[in-house]
Amino acid sequence: MPNEKRKRYIATIVEVEGRDERRVVETPEFDVAPWPADAALKIVGARVTRRDAAVKVTGRATYTTDITLPGMLHAVIARAPVGPGRVERLDVAAARAVPGVIDVITAEDLPRPVRFAGVALFDPAVTYGGQAIAAVCAESHAAALAGCAALEPVIANTRPTLDPVVAADAHEPLVRSSHMVGDAVDVVERGDVERGLREADVLVRRAYRTPSALHTPLEPHAAVARFEGDHLTVWESTQGIFRVRDELARALGMPRTSVRVLMDYMGGGFGGKNHAGPHTVVAALFAKRTGNPVRCVLDREGEQTDTGHRPATVQRVTLGAKRDGTLTVIVCDAWVALGVGGWEGGPAQIYHQLYACPNVRTTERYVFTHSQAMQAFRGPGHTEGAFGLERAMDTLARELHMDPLELRLRNYAARDQLKDREYSSDGLRRCFSEAADRFGWPTRADRRNDPLRPNERRGFGLAAQVWPAGGGPPAYATVVIHSDGTAEALSGTQDLGTGARTVLAQIAAESLGARLADVRMVLGDTERTPYAGNSWGSMTTASVGPAVRMAAVDARAQLLEAAAEVLECKPEDLDTRDSMITTPDGVCKITFADLMKRLGNVMISGHGTRAPNEQKLGLMSFGAQFAEVAVDGATGHVRVLRIVAAHDVGRVINPTLAESQLEGGILQGLGYALYEERVLDQATGLPLNPTTHDYKIPTMADVPRIEAWCIDAVDVRANHVGARGLAEPPVIPTAPAIANAVADALGVDFTEIPLTPWRVLTALGTPRSEEQGAGSKERQ
Amino acid sequence: MAPTDTLLSVLRERLSLTGAKPGCERGECGACTVLLDGMNVYSCLTLAVACAGREVTTIEGISTADELHAMQRAFIEHDAVQCGFCTPGQILAAIALLHHDPAPSLDNIAHGMSGNLCRCGTYPKIVRAIQSVAQNNA
Repeated sequence: MPNEKRKRYIATIVEVEGRDERRVVETPEFDVAPWPADAALKIVGARVTRRDAAVKVTGRATYTTDITLPGMLHAVIARAPVGPGRVERLDVAAARAVPGVIDVITAEDLPRPVRFAGVALFDPAVTYGGQAIAAVCAESHAAALAGCAALEPVIANTRPTLDPVVAADAHEPLVRSSHMVGDAVDVVERGDVERGLREADVLVRRAYRTPSALHTPLEPHAAVARFEGDHLTVWESTQGIFRVRDELARALGMPRTSVRVLMDYMGGGFGGKNHAGPHTVVAALFAKRTGNPVRCVLDREGEQTDTGHRPATVQRVTLGAKRDGTLTVIVCDAWVALGVGGWEGGPAQIYHQLYACPNVRTTERYVFTHSQAMQAFRGPGHTEGAFGLERAMDTLARELHMDPLELRLRNYAARDQLKDREYSSDGLRRCFSEAADRFGWPTRADRRNDPLRPNERRGFGLAAQVWPAGGGPPAYATVVIHSDGTAEALSGTQDLGTGARTVLAQIAAESLGARLADVRMVLGDTERTPYAGNSWGSMTTASVGPAVRMAAVDARAQLLEAAAEVLECKPEDLDTRDSMITTPDGVCKITFADLMKRLGNVMISGHGTRAPNEQKLGLMSFGAQFAEVAVDGATGHVRVLRIVAAHDVGRVINPTLAESQLEGGILQGLGYALYEERVLDQATGLPLNPTTHDYKIPTMADVPRIEAWCIDAVDVRANHVGARGLAEPPVIPTAPAIANAVADALGVDFTEIPLTPWRVLTALGTPRSEEQGAGSKERQ
Repeated sequence: MAPTDTLLSVLRERLSLTGAKPGCERGECGACTVLLDGMNVYSCLTLAVACAGREVTTIEGISTADELHAMQRAFIEHDAVQCGFCTPGQILAAIALLHHDPAPSLDNIAHGMSGNLCRCGTYPKIVRAIQSVAQNNA
């Protein structure tokens, strides 16, 4: 299989969630030909059952929070009750005196400074309410909680800075050394915006507001740590075992290879579990100090208060168009309320990419506020930006007396204008057309007056999405064929509930010519599985999939060489199918199991590497969603009746799992549209709704009829598996599609989500009381 | 066992039955759902001492080594599982629902199951799994 000697390492551009990074990566030893679009694949593309469904439905799947080790102790993090301010009193002696308490750590006990999002762990100078100030370790969880309560912290607090627009103008107390990341606005511009404004026949100007949203995974962040001599093993509920390993090793001053991180099952992540956190360091430090294993699991309030959020934004948008709908200008002036830290995942990018327009300018300010740091949350930036852009497009369509779908097709972007490159495959037009057909968009007027509940009015809306989802290097895999003929595919990636364990096994089995039942996928172990990156940026299938396929191709080639010796024929005359090696005529055949038995303890091991992506090529996933709603004009209650969604994600490895992920994304988008909003107390900076009761994620009673699918569009240019990512795309267009439908139902313009009954009634002009207005100031 | 011990903590910490999950420990998310005399309850809000003489069924108790419960099979078949953390609670709530309402309407499924949160959004698949079991029982 290896061909001519080639350069082993090359510099290339790797794209993660739209950000380009220059990296030196390994090039594969041999090329794997792409599966053609019409390849007759049996296992890839099949609706096979999720591989870990059986252990999950029986309660046998072990999550980090379920791990109990002999002698294990329990750690609890103490949090600042208010912020910002200074810890004036912390009764460590009282906590130590609580029966069952073994140890307490504060800032003074840290062997070296540890920072999270720029904030020093346990810093007595507290930046935000809910920040960790100490930790207690005890024989039982109850004793640790009692110890924590005995600390009785007293904090002299000052007024928090929460409003990003005011803070950006430097009128508020500083959160960090500057008001904004880099102390500067981030401007991206193409064409001539002034000219675009002049050329417009119609201009739409609006200010949009989106809320801070919380990931709310059902399993909170959790770590279990155990030292054996100088070697540390950590079980962590994480989307990135290698990142946690590296961050933890740095925090403790240990060599990376002395830390092993394991993750088998995790109860959701959605972007919030990409890093080691205070709980990880706390578990490891107590394990070191006590010599016992230690478990640290956040409680729900800690999870909602101090593990990251989708930042609130203010987006001032101007769209200009000719009478025929041709866009002449797009301007977005945005403020992002990051919290105490975070990265620049802002709303601007989608304004540059989703629709064709020669003159575009975006201005972003990543403003520090006194609350928990931003963490990527499914479709970071694009989800916020899509709300502003797609609401404005609908308002523009109304001004132009144009059909909203027609306006979008009039401004269809066939190439990536932001990075001036073509797309590997572009199915957005088909997404629009397939979804519009299924939805009955052209004939929706006929349904407008179909019966509803009293006071309800029906509305229809749509929105679209683009998202960088090509994956890339580095990612590695090993495929081992054991002496019983079964195979194991190993890669240090993670299955968050996405189905990675299943789709990677399908790719391995297909590539080997093995039965799926004979292939086991092993993930999530920094010592035993080869490197793969974080499961973020919709990258796993498109990054790890090709590495797994290459490893399987390599292993299969070795298997055929061995079989040729046994069968006395040439390897190139042999094929594999259903874990059987045969000649084309079927005369000579041998099962994998029989061959491996004949070979004895020969171990076949294939190596796979993810090749770099073609440069100057946009690897994007697309989608269009249509929403139908019923809005009660008397109560302001919005009922989503139906969502129709078509997405282009390249080759679909498992349509059933893909549909599950689409539905899940749509339901998170529905929550973002209607219910979800972190509310901060203006005096203390504390979240007022840090529970699953008050922070309202959708329940089963909120679920509309969802028809979601991926269009048939294999992407042979993206990689040799033909798949792009699909995890984040479905959440992006849902909220604007729903908001557009609500606006259509009532004939009222909406500029802010979530569309709670109060906001709907306010927009309708119903008088409201002051109390109902409280809490939204975070975004004013 | 202390009088303040919850059923959830006793199941998990003393009996090593970790199928019931601590998602909020405030009676809001439903991940800790178990059956108490056939009724679905939040084990995090149920005191263990209050269960004396009563029948507690956890996810570990509804299947045998050879055969899964029909609801478990339906959850697998309809992919009503993503991360799986809420799944044991969902299955037990669904079993209790069909016990009281063998042929539930869509509205009744929605209301009967709305005390069990799923952040991955498997709800549409859970509905199908419940409907398929109800149909097979009919």
